[in-house]
Amino acid sequence: MPEDVEMNDSQVPPAAAAASDAPAPAQSTLHHLKEIASVIEAGSLSKEVRRISRAVRLTIALRRRLAARDVAAFLALALSPSSEAFARLSALVPKEDGSEMDVDMAAPTAQVSIKHGLPEIEIYCYLLVLIFLIDNKKYDEAKTCASASIARLKSLNRRTVDVLASRLYSYYSYVHELTNTLADIRGTLLALHRMATLHHDELGQETLLNLLLRNYLHYNLYDQAEKLRSKAPRFEAHSNQQFCRYLFYLGKIRTIQLEYTDAKESLLQAARKAPTTARGFRIQCNKWAIIVRLLLGEIPERTVFMQKGMKAALTPYFELTNAVRVGDLELFRSVADKYSSTFSADRTRNLIVRLRHNVIRTGLRNISISYSRISLADIAKKLRLDSENPVADAESIVAKAIRDGAIDATIDHANGWMVSKETGDVYSTNEPQIAFNSRIAFCLNMHNEAVKALRFPPNSHKEKESAEKRRERLQQEEELAKHMAEEDDDDF
Amino acid sequence: MDSGLEEATQKLAWLSFACARDDLESGVALLAELKVLLTRLHSLPPLEKTPNAVEELKIARTIYENAVILSLKIKDDEAFGRNLCQLKEFYINTWLVFARSPYEYQFLGLNLLRLLPENRISEFHTELEHLPLEALNHPCIKYAVELEQSFMEGTYKQLANFCQAVPNETYVYLMDRIAESVRDEIVDCSVEAYDYLPVSVAKKMLMFTSYREFFEYISEEQPEWEIKNCSIHFHMAKPKSHMDLSSFKLIKQALSYAQELEQIV
Repeated sequence: MPEDVEMNDSQVPPAAAAASDAPAPAQSTLHHLKEIASVIEAGSLSKEVRRISRAVRLTIALRRRLAARDVAAFLALALSPSSEAFARLSALVPKEDGSEMDVDMAAPTAQVSIKHGLPEIEIYCYLLVLIFLIDNKKYDEAKTCASASIARLKSLNRRTVDVLASRLYSYYSYVHELTNTLADIRGTLLALHRMATLHHDELGQETLLNLLLRNYLHYNLYDQAEKLRSKAPRFEAHSNQQFCRYLFYLGKIRTIQLEYTDAKESLLQAARKAPTTARGFRIQCNKWAIIVRLLLGEIPERTVFMQKGMKAALTPYFELTNAVRVGDLELFRSVADKYSSTFSADRTRNLIVRLRHNVIRTGLRNISISYSRISLADIAKKLRLDSENPVADAESIVAKAIRDGAIDATIDHANGWMVSKETGDVYSTNEPQIAFNSRIAFCLNMHNEAVKALRFPPNSHKEKESAEKRRERLQQEEELAKHMAEEDDDDF
Repeated sequence: MDSGLEEATQKLAWLSFACARDDLESGVALLAELKVLLTRLHSLPPLEKTPNAVEELKIARTIYENAVILSLKIKDDEAFGRNLCQLKEFYINTWLVFARSPYEYQFLGLNLLRLLPENRISEFHTELEHLPLEALNHPCIKYAVELEQSFMEGTYKQLANFCQAVPNETYVYLMDRIAESVRDEIVDCSVEAYDYLPVSVAKKMLMFTSYREFFEYISEEQPEWEIKNCSIHFHMAKPKSHMDLSSFKLIKQALSYAQELEQIV
């Protein structure tokens, strides 16, 4: 998808860096990188995965300011010069002349020392170089870097590396997508997914499943994607972004398989859960959601199209909705032709073709509600059916619509007209109860999900007691025990 | 194995000859031999690259194409489905290696049509997604797509025209099946939409050619239709009871609300 923006919340500012350098406003990138490396170190030593995720977030915030010399200098600091990783990575980073001297002078305060030999640092270097190469559009080198990192990852099995590993996998797939060689890596991705499942690496499993689905959907292999998705193990989502992606791909698969209700739910949920910065992703979700709602026979409200920042992208879909709402086949055909290039780019063209029969149904429904009796020739004229025998076609279309339950009427063949049945009082049927039930179920579901999503600050129950506190506590317990023993004695 | 390749080429020539002559038994026997030969060719499945890979893949593809046509002629549905699936794999995976077969779209169209009478519409659309954009302009594929659209819309008169205008003679065999399913659809729709129909009109709508066939059909398939004064009454008035409360459903709903309220998540 061309608009798949990196959905990372770069809202967490590099707080660590900002706090420590009030006097020097322009901290060099290298200093930031060193800070990040120290965070990773601390995280790996205390086995806290959260710190590593934070380090990754800080890196993404730095992305735009990375320059070749910073990367080269960081590599020199972080990796021991004799390791093969260093040799490989420095070869990939282009050399820049001059300005080598500025680096060392820019960081007077807070000398950060980095321990060599931690695998997390090594993998982090791979990640950094990969991001840098992709941003500078050096795709071939990026591919070599990615393949080397995947080979290195196969030998590691540590939970703390998982976060970095999953990022590496996504960039690996991204770089292949940019150079149109996605089909080649399918085997590798499948093997990696197997490995992640064996290691119980849930974040990796999630990421790889999404990457595989994206791979299949890129080539329109919907049935293979569905087979994989139905057999892969499912569990609670670890990362909101991955969950949104999963819902989007699921929605697309369900749409193609004509299960519009499930598709609508998934797509709308994906659009809701996505962070507001991921505009491209939300636009795509909304496009598909609009088409699915049209295929279900309901018209999306105008506010959907007027959302901030999406108005221009959704204009073709707005005109399409208009044509379907009015029930006018001519208008529908002209809109479909006018925007056919947009629809082909979005790969929604086949779905639009399916909409034709919805247009007819909506038109027919409007006619049936407004007329109690109307001749078939008039129906054919209103629907603007172009065929050799419009009346006969209109008759069969109406018959099929009646059979499918779209309209409530009977045809009188001898006189050639359609008689609509009385609508009756809807409140005396079960309709209100059914509508009520769906709304109640939705609210209850949302309540349950909100409660489940409550998070308590982790490690609040694992506070290590200091020696004094422990002494105090033991003393208190002794007193309490003595007190209870005395009470017992008193009773006798 | 060059000798295996030559033998296969020879037998393939005999097979296509037999197909053209409608010589079905020898065709089936030859096909069995050819399939055994295929297992001896080294580049299928594509685990290793042999120098003969291209010719072997081409031969395998042509073998399966002929297999499909043969199974159509002997009206073996399962074999037809199986051979088409295998042929499809060749089309999907070898388009990088050599040029498309000239019959590719014809066979893909056959695949699409096969799914229609069995009402496997979701598979139909999934298959449609596989096709590249220019495929939709090819007459065979366009035929299948328009047929499905008419099915969905309900313009059954157009469907009758379609049945006449097949783009390829191999499609003729599938047309009977499609015509049958169309007829079933029309019957369903007419039963709901009309209270009664004159016999002549009904016969024309259901595409029967003679009254005798029509009456046979009615007596076999639709015993509840009544024929009175040259018109068919589809069903005697079955008053729908509006006031059934579906109490079971309401009880279930109320119980689920109570359960949710008391539940500790």
